[in-house]
Amino acid sequence: MSTLPSPTSTSSRSTSFPFPSIYSFPPFFTRQPNSQTWTSQLSLWNSLILAYCRYNRIWRIDLNTAIEWDLFNNRDINRSLKLETCKEVLDSMVKKGDAEWVSGSGSHVSKNTSAIIYWRRPEEWANIIADWIDSTGQKNTILTLYEIAEGDLSLSQDFRGIDPTILRKALDVLIRRGQAQIMKSADGEEAGVKFFGSQ
Amino acid sequence: MTMRRGVGLAAFDNHQRTAQQYSDLGSSILQTHISELTDQLLTFQAALKKFAQSHADEIRSDPVFRSEFVKMCSAIGVDPLASSSANKKGSFWAELLGSDVNDFFFELAVRIIEICRRTRDVNGGLMLVEDVKGRINSVPGRPPVSQEDIVRAVNTLAPLGHGFGIVRLANKDFIRSVPQELSRDQAVAIEATQALGYISVPILRDNLAWETARCIAVLDDLVASGLVWIDEQARPKEYWTPSWIRQ
Repeated sequence: MSTLPSPTSTSSRSTSFPFPSIYSFPPFFTRQPNSQTWTSQLSLWNSLILAYCRYNRIWRIDLNTAIEWDLFNNRDINRSLKLETCKEVLDSMVKKGDAEWVSGSGSHVSKNTSAIIYWRRPEEWANIIADWIDSTGQKNTILTLYEIAEGDLSLSQDFRGIDPTILRKALDVLIRRGQAQIMKSADGEEAGVKFFGSQ
Repeated sequence: MTMRRGVGLAAFDNHQRTAQQYSDLGSSILQTHISELTDQLLTFQAALKKFAQSHADEIRSDPVFRSEFVKMCSAIGVDPLASSSANKKGSFWAELLGSDVNDFFFELAVRIIEICRRTRDVNGGLMLVEDVKGRINSVPGRPPVSQEDIVRAVNTLAPLGHGFGIVRLANKDFIRSVPQELSRDQAVAIEATQALGYISVPILRDNLAWETARCIAVLDDLVASGLVWIDEQARPKEYWTPSWIRQ
């Protein structure tokens, strides 16, 4: 049984993800014992997961639910990727910097079951947001994280509905570059972010 | 002038002189022939060079024309790809033909090497010529190459000793880009994968009449060489050829 992921953004695709031909190759769903073959298999899964998440605007993968997705289950050939193999794949993506483990949510204190997927790296997101600030004339305004991700002005932007953790990391990049600053309200609470625009 | 055979020493003298005259005549005829031949050869060289230059574009862009041109060269005993030294431009014919033919195959060989290197982990160093061709021709803006072109280019690499060669299996041409040659059993097993895309112990046993141990040995061999991928979700286990992955 395979499911589609629940939509995480307002943009929904009319056509389903176009899977590459490797997805129809039955052994692709078996962890290959030959180390060189496995290297190529890891790389192919890496690319596939990034492309799939980008297409469906998926920001994080929770192993226990994602394992049911069509991404890891090809019904046409009746093949599924095992949970352990999926974890191996994500581990390698984390090592490459294409993903990052986050602590599990809910009552489970399980380690490494949920991962943020960087189909764009934080630096890329930082550049896109900085360009957007410039082109919408929002320099020197203070925006909340919610406004950035869900405000009217970001409707057609790639970072629309961006996962807050990823947005945080992108903003951290801009802060480090001196292009943004966290603004605190009188009681010391975080009020928003002020952008200085790209230099 | 009629010559009369004399008798005695005088006759001997005569004979020698006559022989010498014949020899001289023969030499001069030969000399004339040689200079005529040289003239003809020079004319021919010039014509061939002019032909190659005026058709350089066609040689580059049309696989059929290129093939016919190379065949014509072979028929008259000219190898347009022969190199008398390590330098690809060292060939006499490369100079004559304006080095377009040589360049074409050299560049093609380089692209083939690149593609094989990039896919080695997926296919263990054995790739269908058809798939290499597909990759090369998918790059826009370049004239198409034919299977024949690829086979020719690979054959120019063979003497260089980097393990490149053409392997014919199940009526298809493969490029081998690793030094290890296939054993007899491996070759037969890979040929068997070309029917359904995979083989298994029962398939080998039933079709080739091999004992189970031999089947297992060759399948393990192929896995170790990275030439097949295992599908453990099939019963019995299936061993798939990566050439079945559509490009």
